[in-house]
Amino acid sequence: MNVYVLASELRMGLVAIDWMLAVQIANTLILFLVLRKILFKPVTAFMEKRENEVKSQFDAAALKKKEADQLIPEYSHKIRNAEDEGKEIVRSAVQRADKRTAEILKEAEHKATEIKESTQKEIEQEKVKAINTLKNDIADMAILAASKVIHKDIDGDQHKVLIDQFIQEVGDTAWHN
Amino acid sequence: MGTEGFGPRIVELPFGLQVTETVTVTWWIMAGIILLAWLATRNLQMVPGKRQIVVETIVKMINNLTKQTMGEKNIKFAPYIGTLMIFLAVANLAGLLGLRPPTADINTTLALALITFFMIHSFGIRTKGIGKYVKGFFEPFFLLFPINMLGELATPISLSFRLFGNIVGGLIIMSLLYGALGGFSSALLSLNIPVLAVGVPAVFHIYFDLFSGLLQSFIFTMLTMVYVSMAMD
Repeated sequence: MNVYVLASELRMGLVAIDWMLAVQIANTLILFLVLRKILFKPVTAFMEKRENEVKSQFDAAALKKKEADQLIPEYSHKIRNAEDEGKEIVRSAVQRADKRTAEILKEAEHKATEIKESTQKEIEQEKVKAINTLKNDIADMAILAASKVIHKDIDGDQHKVLIDQFIQEVGDTAWHN
Repeated sequence: MGTEGFGPRIVELPFGLQVTETVTVTWWIMAGIILLAWLATRNLQMVPGKRQIVVETIVKMINNLTKQTMGEKNIKFAPYIGTLMIFLAVANLAGLLGLRPPTADINTTLALALITFFMIHSFGIRTKGIGKYVKGFFEPFFLLFPINMLGELATPISLSFRLFGNIVGGLIIMSLLYGALGGFSSALLSLNIPVLAVGVPAVFHIYFDLFSGLLQSFIFTMLTMVYVSMAMD
């Protein structure tokens, strides 16, 4: 070995097996143990954990979907029921309204008839009243005319009954013509 | 030992320890890989950030490769396979940083090959049982025992020298190329600065360091997986 040569300029043989072999085995094993501890195991475990989590979430979602699917017939049944119920309500309301309409109409008709009848009765009464008044007037006029003809006072009270009877007869026939 | 040639330089450490630059570069690489791994995994989130996605992709890729090559039951080898792959890839690319690749030293490649050799036989015995394991050396019939023995012993040698040869070959060619380009610079252009060494070596670096380096680290890792899982069948 040349003493003038620096250690860094000294070279080993190109193919020389020496105790560096043991050092390199140790280095490799150390690197392996460290990487296994800080890289491969934690990352693999972490990915597995995430995979499981994703899987469980998918499972949970599938379960929820299944539940929802099971609820569909129930809810569609409920909806149909509600629709039927609604229709029933509308139908009964219409029915009630129809009934009420009929009632009101009938009542109105009834009332109208009543009014008509009472009016007719009133008219009848008025008519009778008017006829009676007329008869009285005619009787008075007849007495007056007769007294003028015979120049003599007819005693109203005495002859009234007679005259009235006459007028009644005449009037009746006259009114009936 | 000498001052010539392409062997690794000797580095003086405190307390009079001497190691080669192979070992010091390995230490730098180890420190770098461990630091990156620590930074990338110290705060794992359910919704990953960019860094975490990169790390997860690498780990997942290694896990999948191990599963595909060695089978689902041998997933426990993934950490070692991953260590091997990452270390070899970084080590083979160290030439790009101007460092001497640790894999350009037979001590490194033989160390890795011996670990593979030890794995082949210890896991072979553990899964097959010692009887079936020994019987394997006498198959298909007993006369082939020496050949089988040689074949087993050849495995670490072929593994280590394949990697070493590829990387050290690239290293030597690159050194010669840099020397030649420097020589041309001074001879043709009368310059002491090796201007011709700018640009031209990039093409060779792409082949020898990137392509060959990554390919060899992949080959070494794949062969390790295949040998170990074959020994366990």
